[in-house]
Amino acid sequence: MMALLEVYGLNKRFRGLHAVKDVSFTLQTGSITGVLGPNGAGKTTMFNLLTGFIPFDTGTVNFDGQSLARLAPHKIVNRGLARTFQLARPFVGMTVLENVEVACLAPRVRGEGKAGVRAQALLDQVGLGEKSRHFVDVLSYGDLRRLEIARALATRPKLLLLDEPFAGLGAGEIQPLADLIRALHRSEGLTILIIEHKLREFMQLVQEVIAMDFGEVVAIGTPAVIVRNPRVVEAYIGKVEFDAPGLATTGDDVGTA
Amino acid sequence: MGIHKVDRLAVLLASAALATAPLLFGSTYATGVLTVALCFGMWAASWDFMSGLTGRENFGHALFIGAGAYTAGFLNVEFGLSPWWSLPAAPVCAVLFSLVLGLPTLRLKGPYFALAMLSGAAVMQNLTIIFSSYTGGQDGLNGIDPILNSPLAYYYLVLIFLVATTIILKVIANSMWGTLLRAIRGDEASCQASGINVNFYKIASLMISAAFAGLGGALYAHYQLQVGPDLFAVVLSINIIIMVYVGGLGSIYGPVGGAILLSVLTESLRAFSEYRLWVYTLVLIFILFFMPQGLIAPLWRRIRSYVA
Repeated sequence: MMALLEVYGLNKRFRGLHAVKDVSFTLQTGSITGVLGPNGAGKTTMFNLLTGFIPFDTGTVNFDGQSLARLAPHKIVNRGLARTFQLARPFVGMTVLENVEVACLAPRVRGEGKAGVRAQALLDQVGLGEKSRHFVDVLSYGDLRRLEIARALATRPKLLLLDEPFAGLGAGEIQPLADLIRALHRSEGLTILIIEHKLREFMQLVQEVIAMDFGEVVAIGTPAVIVRNPRVVEAYIGKVEFDAPGLATTGDDVGTA
Repeated sequence: MGIHKVDRLAVLLASAALATAPLLFGSTYATGVLTVALCFGMWAASWDFMSGLTGRENFGHALFIGAGAYTAGFLNVEFGLSPWWSLPAAPVCAVLFSLVLGLPTLRLKGPYFALAMLSGAAVMQNLTIIFSSYTGGQDGLNGIDPILNSPLAYYYLVLIFLVATTIILKVIANSMWGTLLRAIRGDEASCQASGINVNFYKIASLMISAAFAGLGGALYAHYQLQVGPDLFAVVLSINIIIMVYVGGLGSIYGPVGGAILLSVLTESLRAFSEYRLWVYTLVLIFILFFMPQGLIAPLWRRIRSYVA
């Protein structure tokens, strides 16, 4: 294994607020990692820093051996680092197929055949193949999430950042989406970093967890280790009834706890 | 993508109708009104290509029109060049203006681009008055040579340019380029997350829009044989936007129809003399209230669904 993403000493301040404080971690190629933390812990801000949507103040981000500092978001995507948004952001007024075609036109993948053909194949892969001619306005929340993933996959990423892919989904939609993410990781060998609150599915999905609180990384470890870490329990999990060994029995959304 | 058979037939029929229109009226006055209507068609189509597709409203399209028209005037009157030179030179000048205003403002969120275009056109209007020794001030540049001596022949030349403009812009709008421009309208952040260089596409589409508006400005100058500061006026920009909305935003051909319809309507309402603006405004309110999607494009889509 080799490091795909190396983050060292990442900092971001918004006026008085130190939103991301000295964050350092490494992602190995082919790994699937979670980011855990209460609301306001700086998880989404960190995603925005890694993907160039917000420039970071200090620190280094090396992706695939190259620095991502001060690169525009579309350039980072074309290096092979794609993301989805916490609130799905489709291109309203366009069809599902057109939404994915747009990403098939990114310079990184433009030479890989007809955009329409690739987009349809990606939609089939995420389970939206039959809805490709629908307008995005009629899609359910779960389908919009799949659309976001298809759009990100269209840029053929090496690393995929998923920002709360399960948020707002009904009970029946969570497991199929978790299966899709798992399949992308296993069969495509995609490296995945995922922010989540849905504890049960999340902990079963990831190999390693980066726990954050107040903009800082408070612990990094396997899910089983993380849930026993005193700082994590104090910051996040301790506030709800939590039976550490019985992970699989606690499926509550503790995000607002 | 290309263009569907039914649409090709429609283009042919519409062109044929426009080609016979001046023959039906048979007066030089009517031919003139129609020539101006075609110029408005080019301006509306070029506005729609950028602003209708990307959703970044341009409140100073007259800047490109005036730039093109004055380029034609300067080259012909001051430098004595053949009027044909206006046709390549006017778009180039308009594109330069689009870069000066578009490059710094299109990358910003918010109303900066719209306001920059609005004030850019206003500034140019004032500059033509301030530098009156070069521009002729309020009187403008007079004595511009016609490109073709026969008004009817010139009408057909402008018609050829309008049809070509509409087809070119529509083909681009139907291509993957158009998909990207509409995606920008949908969500810029998602475009960036899809690896698309949003600023490049916005500026490139503004340059294309400016080129055709400037070309239309030059054609207009060689019809009027005079250019004046009013070609930069806010009211011209606003009229073009109204024509686009009446035609149907984002459809390219709709705004062309809207522009021709409203230009001809304005002239035919002269019979109402002082009530002309009242009638015009009432017609506009009626159309925009009852047909918020516009008149021409939705109508054609409905006909098309029966035919195709």
